[in-house]
Parts: sequence; structure tokens; C-alpha cells
Amino acid sequence: MKPRMRDDKRCTLAEAAALVADGDTVALGGALSHRLPMALVRELVRLGRRDLRLVGSAHGIDVDLLVGAGVAGTVEESYVGYEQDLGLAPAYRRAAEAGTVAIRETCCYTLLQQLRAAEYGLPFMPVRGVAGTGIRDLHPEYAEVECPFTGQRLVAVPPLAPDVALIHALSADRHGNVHLRRPLVLDERFAHAAKRVVVTVETLADTAAVEGAGIVLPYFLVDAVVEAPFGAHPTSCYPHYAYDRAHLRAWVEAARDEDGVAAYLAEFVTAGGEAAYLDAVGRGRLGALREWGASTDRWAELATA
Amino acid sequence: MSDGEFTIDEWVCVALARTIRDGEIVFHGFGSPCAQVAMYVAKRTHAPHMVLVEGSTYALDPDPAFIPPTSNDWSLLRGAAHVLRFEELFDLGARGELDRMFLSGGQIDCYGNTNVTAVGGLPRPKVKLGGGGGGCNLSATVGELTLWTTRHRSGRALVEACDFITDLGHRTPQGTRAELGLPGGGPAVLVTELGVLDFPDGRARLREVFADIAPEEALAATGFELEVAGDLRAVPPPRSDELAVVRSVDPLGVRRSEFGTRELERRFRWSADRMACAACT
Repeated sequence: MKPRMRDDKRCTLAEAAALVADGDTVALGGALSHRLPMALVRELVRLGRRDLRLVGSAHGIDVDLLVGAGVAGTVEESYVGYEQDLGLAPAYRRAAEAGTVAIRETCCYTLLQQLRAAEYGLPFMPVRGVAGTGIRDLHPEYAEVECPFTGQRLVAVPPLAPDVALIHALSADRHGNVHLRRPLVLDERFAHAAKRVVVTVETLADTAAVEGAGIVLPYFLVDAVVEAPFGAHPTSCYPHYAYDRAHLRAWVEAARDEDGVAAYLAEFVTAGGEAAYLDAVGRGRLGALREWGASTDRWAELATA
Repeated sequence: MSDGEFTIDEWVCVALARTIRDGEIVFHGFGSPCAQVAMYVAKRTHAPHMVLVEGSTYALDPDPAFIPPTSNDWSLLRGAAHVLRFEELFDLGARGELDRMFLSGGQIDCYGNTNVTAVGGLPRPKVKLGGGGGGCNLSATVGELTLWTTRHRSGRALVEACDFITDLGHRTPQGTRAELGLPGGGPAVLVTELGVLDFPDGRARLREVFADIAPEEALAATGFELEVAGDLRAVPPPRSDELAVVRSVDPLGVRRSEFGTRELERRFRWSADRMACAACT
């Protein structure tokens, strides 16, 4: 049931993250190095959640960190890593190779069609690909169907209604009207298909300001709103800040072994809440990430830090 | 590097660019700097009417401030005509209107199937790779695929059989594209750091080699039996306008992250008529 009411949905990060229960299917907003819901991810680690099934399209440190911290039981993503730049996701890779996390790798379009099936209230949606691939073999829940009109054979995929969608956005009002800018990736689809929607924002604003900027997610879809400045760090949240490549690199280096993961979590995640996290990263360093718009040279300097 | 010389990373980008035809709608996956650079080279030289769709921002025809190390960055939105929705891009692919896509893989077999999921396969991989993003569906429906790898020489990239098939080539153990009901044309070209392969009758064949590569080197590095074209050619040299785009769109040299250090030492210069080139020693 969607929240529907237009009441005040502001809450603390801990209250918002507590809407995720052990074993839930959790949709992660954003993609790769942009607008990952990192404040919520860190809070899930602090809450000690277990056995989550993570779904999303092309992710990075969010999944890697949740796997490293032992929060994830199943990963159903189309990609997890740091592209050509920082390479494979170390904690995710290690868990996959040790068999301590179940890998149900998927494809962006399959995920989209599954979310659409949930949104459309239909028992399945077809996809044209997947047949003949290893991805098909990973998913006994898919099925082959024959089109009643053309006789074409297609792969049918079942609805996906995540228990909770976690999204980091630019702004929202207290009722949960949310402003986002493209690329939206699957954020809208997650918000419509999920049973519960939790949104962190760079800034809380009044309704007129959010309307002026453009409401992308309407209040009736959203359960909780939390103001969390730098809530996507170390990924980017343009136009507010660029991504913190040096911090991502430090995580990737730390995550090469279990001790490194533990040390990272102790230093940045479990020592305190988000304020402690931002202090540990360094306020000056965070401020510098806002300078991307100063010049192309400054932007390039940040991108390669 | 002295004037008039160029490097293998630049040349591979140009070779990839030349697989694009003018007027095509073209998409590169994320984490694909060589393909990404190649698309700008094509757009700004021989294919001004191509529709360039960025790999993770879904921006149309942007004028990037620079190619950044990550493909989901606002520098890849600058000057864009429009930013597509995720849904719009993948629907375009599903209905067969995406003309070309670039795909790579940790493993590539003779039919052009690629493995970006796991060396050793699942559920117990030897190396868990990142994953295929949208390739599993797109490879089935996109008009033509341009494949590439910068690890041909390793001997581990072009393999007899992929441990896991993430993206579709011309046939898998379960059947041909026609038998599987997949409408896309499949891999047309595979560009490697050693040469260019094509797929007559759906199986890879060595078509061209770079100036410093003997065909035997390419064959020895290939894990399947590789046919050699009867009229095997040298890869045509890049033009200076193409190289100028490579250098201007990727001033940070992000494309080089795809190559080993030994490959990056490969430098070339043109013959006097610029119709051929040779390795610098």
C-alpha cells in the first residue's frame, strides 16, 4: 500500500533506514558513480541489516559496501564495479567467488520490464533477448512464451515490486514531492513499483520551490524524506558536487581484504552517524567537490583526483 | 611523442570509429572509453549525421568537457541536444532502431559471444567480472555490434568457448540467432590491439593487422582456430583529423586505461604519402 497521505514525512536517517527489514528486496537508485543512496547504505550497515536482496542497474560502491559489510544475501544487478577506471568491485568479487553472496546477475532491460510488469499490474512482461545466454540459466523464474498473434517465442519475466526503494534526490518538500534531474536511471520506475520509498535529499525545500524545480516523484509514492547533504558521497550529485574519485579509490584499495573493509567501516561508517562520516572525509575536501563548475580545468582536476 | 607520430590507443579508437556509418543511431556501454572516443571521432569526421547516445547519461550528441574516468558524469551532458530517459534508450534497442552498439568482454569466442559476468562461470567463479549492464538484451536486437578488446595478446581474451555467455554473438550452444528468434544482426567487426576481425558466415576471421603485428602473432594469441582472409590487409592508417578528435575529446587520456603498459609504447608514423604507416622503433 502506498502511503497516499500528504502528511509530514520528514524523519531521521535511522528511522528512514529502519523501513528496510532483514531479508527485504531493496532497489538502489542512481547508477555507477552518480547519485547512489550512500547515506542510507551506510545507515543500513549501522543498523546491522542482513540478507538483503539488492536490485539495480549498474552500481558501484553501494553494492560493494553492503556486500563487504555482510548486509547483502543476494545481488540482482546488471553490473557492479568501477568501470575501466578503478576496475572490479573487490568486496563483491570476493563474496561472489567465495559463494557467500548469491549472484543473480540481470540485464538493464529485463529489470525495466520486470518493474513495468509490477507498475502495469500485469503478471509478466516479455523481453526479446536473454534466450540462449547464461543469464537465462541463472533465472528459473523466467519462462518462454509464444506470442498469440505472431507465434514469436519470447522470454517472459515476472513482476518485480521491491520491498523498499532507496533514492537520493536533489530536493523534496516535507510531503515527499521529489525533484530529480536526468539521468534518472530507474529511480522513477523503482518509486512506482516499490512497496515503500525512502528518499534522502541534498536540501529540504518548500512545496513551491520543488514545484518550480519540477516534481518527478509525487508525494503519494513516498514514505520518508530525510535531509542528508552529501548523501550520495563519494558518488556525485550534480549540480551540487562531483564524485570523490580519491575516496572511491581509497575504498577500492581498502576492500581488497576483510581487514581493510573492517578498517574502512570503523573509520567512516560505524564510528558515528552521517555527521561523523562527513567529518571523517573532511569538510574542506567535500567543499572542493562543489567547485566542479568553476572551470573545465578544475572539473577535470576533480575527475582525476 | 614527436609530431606526426601516433599511438596504438589512438589508432584503435580510429579503427572503431570507422565501423560507424553515417546516419546510424549508436550507443556505447558504460566503462568503454575507446568506444566512447570512437563515437566522437565518427561524429566529427565521416558520420556527421549519426545520432550519438552516451553510455550512461543517455545524452544525445553532447559536447563533453572531457571524457571522464566514469561514464555517468555530467561532463558527458554538456551541450547535449537532449537527454534520453533510460526507458527510451532501451525501448529503442528492443524495437530494433538502435543501429549499432559497442560491446567488449573478458572473454570473446569465435561467434562473438562475450563473457562479462564471470571467468569460470557461475555459481563459483574464478574471477567475478562486473557484469553486462544492458548487453544481454541489446545484443539480441541491435542492428550490428562492433566488438573490441585491448587484451588479445594476453591469450585469455579470445577463447574457444566463453565460460559464461552474457551477450550474444552469432550462435550459442543453444542455437543460431534465427533459431533463438533474435532479430539483431550480431557482431560485424571485432577490433583488437593486434588487428581487425570480421564475421563472414558468423565466425570470426582475421581481416586486417596493425603495422607492427605479424599475422602469426594474432593467431598465436587466439584461443580458437582463426581463419585468415585470403587478402589479409594492413589496418588503414588514421588521418590527422581523426587523431585530432581523439586528442581533443579525451585530453585526460582515459582511453589509455584500457591498455597494458607494453601496448602503450607502440608508436607509429605515416609513410610519405600517408597511405601506409610503420612502427617507430
